[in-house]
Amino acid sequence: MPLPRRAARAGALLTAAVLALTACGSGDEPAAAAGEGGGDLGELTLQLSWIKNAEFAGEFFADTNGHYTDAGFTSVTMDPGPGAIETLVATEDADFGLSNAVSTAQVIAEEDAPLKIVGTKFQKNPFTILSLADGGNIATPQDLVGKRIGVQAGGNETLFDALLEVNGIDPADVEKVPVEYDPAPLIDGEVDGFLAYLTNESITVQSQGIEVTNLPFADNGLPFVAESVITTDRMIAEEPERVMAFLEAEIRGWQDALADPAEGARLAVEEYGADLQLDMAKELEQSEVQAGLIVTPDVEANGLFTITDELIEQNMATLEAAGIDIAAEDLFDLSLLEQLLEEKPELTELPA
Amino acid sequence: MTAVLPGAGQAPAPGRAGSLLRAVLRQVGTAVLVLAVVVLLWTVLLRVFDVSPYVGKTPAEVWTTLFGEDDSAELRAEIGALLGQTLLDAGVGFVAGLLSAVVLAAVVVRYRLLEGAVMPVALVLQTVPLIALAPILILAVGRGYVLVATMSAIVVLFPALVNIVLGLRSVTPQMRDLVLVYGGSPSTVLRRVGFPSALPALFASVRIAVPGALTGALLAEWLATGKGIGYAVVSAAGRSQNARVWALVVVVTVTALVLYLLAQLVEAAVLSRFGRAEAAR
Repeated sequence: MPLPRRAARAGALLTAAVLALTACGSGDEPAAAAGEGGGDLGELTLQLSWIKNAEFAGEFFADTNGHYTDAGFTSVTMDPGPGAIETLVATEDADFGLSNAVSTAQVIAEEDAPLKIVGTKFQKNPFTILSLADGGNIATPQDLVGKRIGVQAGGNETLFDALLEVNGIDPADVEKVPVEYDPAPLIDGEVDGFLAYLTNESITVQSQGIEVTNLPFADNGLPFVAESVITTDRMIAEEPERVMAFLEAEIRGWQDALADPAEGARLAVEEYGADLQLDMAKELEQSEVQAGLIVTPDVEANGLFTITDELIEQNMATLEAAGIDIAAEDLFDLSLLEQLLEEKPELTELPA
Repeated sequence: MTAVLPGAGQAPAPGRAGSLLRAVLRQVGTAVLVLAVVVLLWTVLLRVFDVSPYVGKTPAEVWTTLFGEDDSAELRAEIGALLGQTLLDAGVGFVAGLLSAVVLAAVVVRYRLLEGAVMPVALVLQTVPLIALAPILILAVGRGYVLVATMSAIVVLFPALVNIVLGLRSVTPQMRDLVLVYGGSPSTVLRRVGFPSALPALFASVRIAVPGALTGALLAEWLATGKGIGYAVVSAAGRSQNARVWALVVVVTVTALVLYLLAQLVEAAVLSRFGRAEAAR
């Protein structure tokens, strides 16, 4: 019976073709079922708080090792800062941004920005007033009086205002000088102090053989979380799966970064920040020093990116002292992170 | 801007006050029209480009920010103080820029040899972006008024210089000969004939210099002094205080427009006094 066999074969082929076509047509659904992290979550845009250096070692790992794509994103774009991070996220030019509790709180309180912090990289903020040991030598908040301090326009001004406020210093007693992010005015003696990162400019200046003094914000009345993940209320409400996928990829990336700080520095210097002419020794030191801001006893117990209730309370006290009027639930929403860690407890582990 | 004196100039004029009043009315009419067009474009462009309402504030929202909120009075006082600083900075630059332009123009016209030395330098100052010059200027003169005056003056200088030189050169050979025949020196020619014939050019320069000085002052404030509206805008944008950014920009824009109109009126008044109402257009 050659004829019916042939007809059957043709019929089978046709059925297969139709099936294949329908599969293509409704592409999203089957792909979603297949993806490890829950499916096709589209393109991801992440607004960094700074240039692409070792500060983002975990993000570089997450990209290189495919954690973003494993979690379901088709591609990832990392836009370097600094800039108006809150605006870029609130307008959804970026899906997620990295900012800090004070800057974000101020924008939420004053501009009604529909934003929340959904997790944080740095438990302690690395902001400092950097000065030269044989120059301004600013070691206590009172040393600020009568000095010229270089402060970058934007969110950093909010932080500086807060530093003065919590330490009871009249802003009129300190001369705020506009600077960019290059600490040259400090070395040239044009300013006595310079708002900087302990993990960044402070190391850069020291590596030039200059002795420095730091006035860390966290130790002088302004403890708050930094490099915090912010996103919109809409994203949290309508696309919680994207938030969870992003946090998962971030956590996996930072697990890799903490396990191998040297590779994190290399990724920054040779790959992601290749056009920035970064200094390997400095990036390596940054990569190692910032681990102390990321991993605290609380993080060892609860996992990366978590924020304990006590830490939230401490942040709220800081904000109140800085004169920013906001409620904790209007700034932090950690429910998705908690849900994620419950579903995938292996994410709370830290590299040995 | 050639200073031709047509017969109409001597025709029975409708009176200086009358023509000045007409000039005022015309200017105010123009200003209202310009504002209407700007507000229309502003509204339409926000719509067309679908700008997020968080970033793009409408004219009505800016009005509310400035006048309709609890802390509006506080904000207005704050912006007023910033504007005062900016106007002071712009004023310093305006005076510095125009004075140097007049002096340089006189030198160039009187001593032709120096033209080759002055004009290229002025052109270079005009061509190099101020943002690139700023760090060098800050190192050279610090962050005080000298810097504000320098930066603002650089913006003003070149167009004013070119204009005024042209004006000074518009002296006709007959007029020059007349002064020389009566025993005047080339400097007398410049003083007695050159400057009066350069008046239209001078006032055109003033008109161009007003917004120029403001631009220079805003740049100097942003890059160096950290005071005034120039810095406040950058600072507010960096802090995502978008309503404030818009309010500041609107205030400084309206101020620039008003100052420009004032300059035009002064120009009309002075030129009509010198019998050159036509040149005022």
